[in-house]
Amino acid sequence: MTVIADPSQTTVHTFGAPRLLAGVAELGRVDLGHHVALHGEPVLRRRSWLSGATRDVNLLGRGGAGFPVADKLDAMPSGRVNVLVNGSESEPASRKDRTLMSSAPHLVLDGALVAAHALGSSDITIAVHDQRSYESLMLASQERRDTAGVRIVRTPDGFVAGEIRSVINGLNGEGYMPGGRRILPHHHGVDARPSFASNVETFAHLALLSRLGVADYARTGSTSEPGTSLLTLIGDVGGPGVVEVPNGIPLASLLPGQADAPVLIGGYHGTWVRSLGGLALDRVALRAVGAPLGAGVIARPYAGTCVLTEVVRVSNWLASESAGQCGPCFFGLPALADDVAALAAGAGADRLQSLARRVSLVRGRGACAHPDGSVQFISSAISALGDEFEAHARYGSCGRPPSDVLPLPGGVA
Amino acid sequence: MTTIEVDWTRCDAHGLCSRLLPEKISLDEWGYPIIDGRVVDPALVQAARKAAMACPALALRVERGAM
Ligand code: SF4
Ligand code: SF4
Repeated sequence: MTVIADPSQTTVHTFGAPRLLAGVAELGRVDLGHHVALHGEPVLRRRSWLSGATRDVNLLGRGGAGFPVADKLDAMPSGRVNVLVNGSESEPASRKDRTLMSSAPHLVLDGALVAAHALGSSDITIAVHDQRSYESLMLASQERRDTAGVRIVRTPDGFVAGEIRSVINGLNGEGYMPGGRRILPHHHGVDARPSFASNVETFAHLALLSRLGVADYARTGSTSEPGTSLLTLIGDVGGPGVVEVPNGIPLASLLPGQADAPVLIGGYHGTWVRSLGGLALDRVALRAVGAPLGAGVIARPYAGTCVLTEVVRVSNWLASESAGQCGPCFFGLPALADDVAALAAGAGADRLQSLARRVSLVRGRGACAHPDGSVQFISSAISALGDEFEAHARYGSCGRPPSDVLPLPGGVA
Repeated sequence: MTTIEVDWTRCDAHGLCSRLLPEKISLDEWGYPIIDGRVVDPALVQAARKAAMACPALALRVERGAM
């Protein structure tokens, strides 16, 4: 295992030979010369090849929803289309996208070019909001000569603003918020044209897949999901930071010790689980057990700390992130955060009932995924942290020092 | 099949819809409509249309779709 400290203080690890992060441990940022030495020039393929290959390796989108890339490609109409690379990493606990953009920007550009070529487009937008990634991508695009059609755009901060539909609305000059109707990017995307839109990591995989071909790409990972994934590991984990791992590895290998400690899988729209049991890094299997991998965040508080403090903190933050467009989200999430805080302060069964009722009032009643994701975080905490809530109900607190591993924007580490 | 849906970015909790279509729409604790299933019973389609037309925020969508 390689561990390096990178200048932004995000530690980068890899298990086995890194692919996306090849050279990062040694170089920090992989410039054009090193990138070409490691990966060669981008290999541009036909649409039918890319669609078949992404299906063969079951490449799933890396932004959170885990949608099959092949389906997305197949849904693209012919004619004038464009490509949107979403690097607006808005999940506050995730660092994988900015690590990728700031350390391996050429792989992202290669992937965008691969997708654009396959779709017969030269029109690429990369949306990014953190300064370092922006500079790294700008520099990378100046370093090479095949990026004339690439525009790199800064987007505002914010959980909901980073969602792909918000990014599209923002780029179209309508404000970085989801619209009232569910309109898919491949129907109405950037500049009102169909967009092939996905997360930055997805594009880096497209570059690798196109370069390696299906057989070599599938040399690592599992049979159901070949290849690797970038994760952000937080708290009491083998090595905190961004890690590239082969798909299919047991999650327990990333989180040694503490067999039955609560673990947060997916991020702040994610799921608390009590035991990793036999869970493996497999997007389809994790979704099936109700704990989707989401943005690839896995966090475990330290033993002997009070997790509820942290659940309250994040619930309040989720409530504050409602974009305020939809009533049930705008009113419901603060009410739920209050319920969580009251339960952590020792409120009893009545409050639990009011929380359960409000969970059902908020779920599915907004224009974007924020209310459902927030409800997932809160309701999974209630069920996975039953022992903790019970101790708080009995004694008002558990007496342990507060856990403080989940980062929130605004410098809360 | 006719369906009814709320555009949450528009709805201002006027509550009119629930008065016009109480069989189908109740209100939550903040005054926002709770719709009892998307599919509208044929007998209620007329009333659903009226409710959508009456919504001051144009937040209700009644749509006839194939399916
Ligand atoms: S659901 Fe919430 S976060 Fe999403 S657009 Fe509506 S108010 Fe904003
Ligand atoms: S009448 Fe329109 S604005 Fe009022 S509650 Fe119903 S849907 Fe919302």
